[in-house]
Amino acid sequence: MNELDPLLGYLCLAALLFTCGVVCMATKRNAIGVLIGVELVLNGANVNFVAFSRYHPNFQVEGMIFALFVIVMAAGEAAIALAIVLNFYNNHSTVDVDSADELKG
Amino acid sequence: MPDLSEKPGLLFVLATLLPLAGFTLLLTVAAIRWALRPYAAESPTADAVFKALGGEVTGRGPAYVALGSIALAFLCCVVGFVWFCIDAAHMHHLEHDIRHYEAEHAEPHHHGPGKAKKKAKDEPADEAAKEKAAKAKADAKTKHDQNVGDYNRLTKNWEGALEWARIFPSKDNVADTKHGTLLTLGFRIDMLSAVMFVMVTLIATLIHLFSIGYMSEELQETVEDHEVHTAHGHYHRRGRYGRFFMFLSLFCFSMLNLILADNLFQIFVSWELVGICSYLLIGFYFERTSASNAANKAFITNRVGDAGFIIGLLIVWTYFGTFNFQEIFSRVRCPERDADDVILINEKPAGHSIVRAKTDRVLKTGRFVKLDSNGDVALIFPRERIMGNVPGHFHGPSSTTAVHDSPRSREYGFIPYWLLVVAGLGIFLGCVGKSAQFPLQVWLPDAMEGPTPVSALIHAATMVAAGVYLVGRCYPLFTPEVLLTIAYIGGITLFVAASIAMVVTDIKKVLAYSTVSQLGYMMLALGVGGWTAGLLHLLTHAFFKALLFLGSGSVIYGCHHQQDMLKMGGLFDKMKITALTMLVGVLAIAGTPFFSGWYSKDEILVAAFGFSMTHPQHFLLFLLPLVTAGITTFYMFRMWFMTFTGEPRDEHVYKHAEETPWVMTTPLVILAIFSVGVAWGWPPHDPEHSWLGQQLHHYSQPAAVDVDFKASHELLHGTPSYHTMVGMLALAVVAIGVAFALVLYYYNVLDPNEAVEQFPGVHKFLLHKWYFDELYSALLVRPGLIFAHWCSGFDTIVINGFVHLVAKWNMFVSYVSGLFDKGIIDGSVNLLADVSYSVGNWLRNLQTGYLRSYVLFLALAAMAIWMLLYAWATAMGGP
Amino acid sequence: MDDLHPYMFWLIAPLTGLCAIATVITQNIVRSATWLLFTLAGTSSIFFLLGADLVGAIQLLVYVGGTMVLVIFGVMLTAQGPFITMKTSGAEWAISIVAGIMLFAVLGFGATHYVRSSAERAKETVPENPKDSRNSTTIGQGLLGVPVGPSDPKMPSQTIHYLLPFEIVSVHLLVVLIGAAYLARTKRRKEEEAAP
Repeated sequence: MNELDPLLGYLCLAALLFTCGVVCMATKRNAIGVLIGVELVLNGANVNFVAFSRYHPNFQVEGMIFALFVIVMAAGEAAIALAIVLNFYNNHSTVDVDSADELKG
Repeated sequence: MPDLSEKPGLLFVLATLLPLAGFTLLLTVAAIRWALRPYAAESPTADAVFKALGGEVTGRGPAYVALGSIALAFLCCVVGFVWFCIDAAHMHHLEHDIRHYEAEHAEPHHHGPGKAKKKAKDEPADEAAKEKAAKAKADAKTKHDQNVGDYNRLTKNWEGALEWARIFPSKDNVADTKHGTLLTLGFRIDMLSAVMFVMVTLIATLIHLFSIGYMSEELQETVEDHEVHTAHGHYHRRGRYGRFFMFLSLFCFSMLNLILADNLFQIFVSWELVGICSYLLIGFYFERTSASNAANKAFITNRVGDAGFIIGLLIVWTYFGTFNFQEIFSRVRCPERDADDVILINEKPAGHSIVRAKTDRVLKTGRFVKLDSNGDVALIFPRERIMGNVPGHFHGPSSTTAVHDSPRSREYGFIPYWLLVVAGLGIFLGCVGKSAQFPLQVWLPDAMEGPTPVSALIHAATMVAAGVYLVGRCYPLFTPEVLLTIAYIGGITLFVAASIAMVVTDIKKVLAYSTVSQLGYMMLALGVGGWTAGLLHLLTHAFFKALLFLGSGSVIYGCHHQQDMLKMGGLFDKMKITALTMLVGVLAIAGTPFFSGWYSKDEILVAAFGFSMTHPQHFLLFLLPLVTAGITTFYMFRMWFMTFTGEPRDEHVYKHAEETPWVMTTPLVILAIFSVGVAWGWPPHDPEHSWLGQQLHHYSQPAAVDVDFKASHELLHGTPSYHTMVGMLALAVVAIGVAFALVLYYYNVLDPNEAVEQFPGVHKFLLHKWYFDELYSALLVRPGLIFAHWCSGFDTIVINGFVHLVAKWNMFVSYVSGLFDKGIIDGSVNLLADVSYSVGNWLRNLQTGYLRSYVLFLALAAMAIWMLLYAWATAMGGP
Repeated sequence: MDDLHPYMFWLIAPLTGLCAIATVITQNIVRSATWLLFTLAGTSSIFFLLGADLVGAIQLLVYVGGTMVLVIFGVMLTAQGPFITMKTSGAEWAISIVAGIMLFAVLGFGATHYVRSSAERAKETVPENPKDSRNSTTIGQGLLGVPVGPSDPKMPSQTIHYLLPFEIVSVHLLVVLIGAAYLARTKRRKEEEAAP
């Protein structure tokens, strides 16, 4: 196990979650799907925080506290995003983000 | 202001300035009226002042101002003249005494010692006689000193000067502080100028008086000029009474200043002033094309002469450093006796002659004991020796006051002889222009376009005589060559003009040609050594020609501006005073014995005879005036007969003709009296003893005259019978002239037209005035015009072409510059804008509005930034 | 226990990763939400594995219990026929996957680079028995203003506490609550107004 630092595994996991979130946001046409991608990205970040709180001496408390904040923020974000989605759905009768292109150049 | 009794010469200065004051007053009033005229309708005050100053057309006020000023000037002149005659006589005696004393005492100075020793040996014991002689000598010495003092005092009474302009010398010539740097305004009265003053002011006064009547038409609010035709009939204008008298006053001032001046420059200024007055008055009716052309012709012709005058002035200024007559003459003519030695030419004393020498002699000897007379330079003598302590060298009265002292004037100098000739010819050319002599005579007949009083005053009596006056004044400056030129020019002029006068029918033109001819007589007289004769003729001619012109003016006025003699005739009954006074004038000009003209003309003929006797190759100089005397008589009587006798040729003119009012006839009568008696003397039958001539001869004639024409004068003095002979000859010629006139025009034995038909060529030639106008037109005017056209063409084609070329080149450059601006400058800016626009437009495509693509870009950008950061960190040296 | 940790990691981490990939891959939004649920749960177990018991617990409570409910609620509100499965084009897929692989490569490279370059590691702080864990106490004190964090190297006397961020987050959540309620409510009222 000496060759493989345990931190690297967590970081790779976090990277995977992050990448999955980004790809999810890029591929899902459903607004809820985009929201799911965002949650994945945030989770990836959280994994990073907590991993560093475990393996980095200066982040023992901060990592966890930041992770907590992120979780709470994500909850609020989800609530707002859902409200927006619902509003968009009410206005456009669809949840396809591709149809929300009024602001294109 | 010095006391008048100390400086009586100021009387003449006063006489000069009075017309100037009159002119200034009239000009000021005219200027105020001119300024007020536009406002007179609006402002009551302005209107009141305007009316007070004469209103729209002045009354006789200006005439009274001008007449008053010139009459006062005349009074001053008369007083001054009498005073001067007394002083002149006194000075003449003093001069005689001084000369006598000097002649006695100068001899021992040179050859004395030997003689004195001789005397001492002969009479050693007679001590009483010796003492007596010594006492007498001392007395004589005292008397002599007193005489010299008196003489100098009297001289100073009649001259004065004030500094006008001083030009400071150049830096490297500091020592020579006064060298050629002073222009003065000065006066110097001698008999010539005094007599001229009286003559000019008298004639001017009479002509002013005459003009009051003659110009009365100009008093009208509207004057109709019958000789100017416009689209609406005759030309109408405001009367110009005031203007006429204003110009006359200015002329009087200028003419008097010309006579007054003691230096060439002041004369030149006055010369130009009288020229401009002449111009203004010839062009008085300037609406008439003929009048304005005549004015231009007179002015331009005079410019030709003045160019010569200026050349003369320049030469004089360069070599003498002064314009003062006395200094120039005393330096160009050899002193009678030099303080060092007597100057001899060919073993004879050379007093008052122009001395020529070889340049090398001048440089080597420095003291001119003996010289040949045919060198290439003329000597300039030092002023100091002849005018300082020794008061014996008289060109008339001399003095040092008016002559400024300069170092150069105390030294011998020399002037190239040919330059002295050129200077004389130049000054004479000025006189030729002013006095209408042979090459430049064309302007005077045309000048008759002016009002007749102007013709009388300016173009007959005074201004045209100024040329003769100047020749007389500058006499010592003229070399024999110049004098010969003067004589020939005068001879040619008098004959040509008289021949033309025979055929012209305009009464004023006859008189104009007669004037030219008489001026030619004067010039001839001066040229052949008859200085007194010439200037006496100037004076007598002034009177009788003024009389004739005023008479013709009276006739013209009486005939309502009819000038053509072919339309007159038989007017004697209508205007007796005019006719009789004019007859007096005719007799005077013809040279009838005991009329003034006889005295002067006889003198002239005698002088010419003397000259042609001593210089037989110049016999023409006697023949021409003799023949012309007959011609003169003929054409003058022809004029008189055509005008006043026979049957009226034009009923209309005759019917309306009438005698003129007293203001016009009074001057005629006065002038007639003077025309008869002005030259009288005792005994009256001898022209030599004319009182006026004697005055001029004794007190004013330069000593140079007798020196230059020594031979002819000695001949005439030696044989008095020549006088009688010439007089008889002249009378015979005059009688022939009268006879011809009587036969042709009074008794009508011969028809003049038939006579003309005998010589059609000659008649045509004379009628065209010897084709002078045509000749000048072909030689000067037309080439001038062609040259002007050529210059104009040059301007149009070359200069304008060049300018246009430059303009076109500029336009081309501007066009290219514009292209550059549009293409490069604007283009680059537009390109930037286009690039910005297209980039923006292209970038716009990136803003798809697709949320998901934004996410992708976000990711890619994050990657890119991270990789860049990594690459940068690596490059900076840290992993 | 020392030996067990890597095994547990290698058990949980691939499962979580697979679940995440599944979340992305599946076309059905409901399934996607379900896969997300598993992913979140896996993440919380990772937290537990890392000794962050409080965070893991809150992850379960807030995420799995709260946020997921919200998501599913949203899915259900909008889940009408066509929107359940909205196909994405193959090209987009390809681009997204390529970009994802590149992103993952970059992140992985960065992580590896970091791990290689920094040797500093924390000592074993995870207690043997979870009941000995002081995490909850420490975090709670930190949030209430007791200095718990590392001391400032420049000013050693002062240590860090998290009261202010805590307060900010509280207010933030309140704002979110009100905002969400407002957003979700207005439109409906407008529709009601427009309807009659």
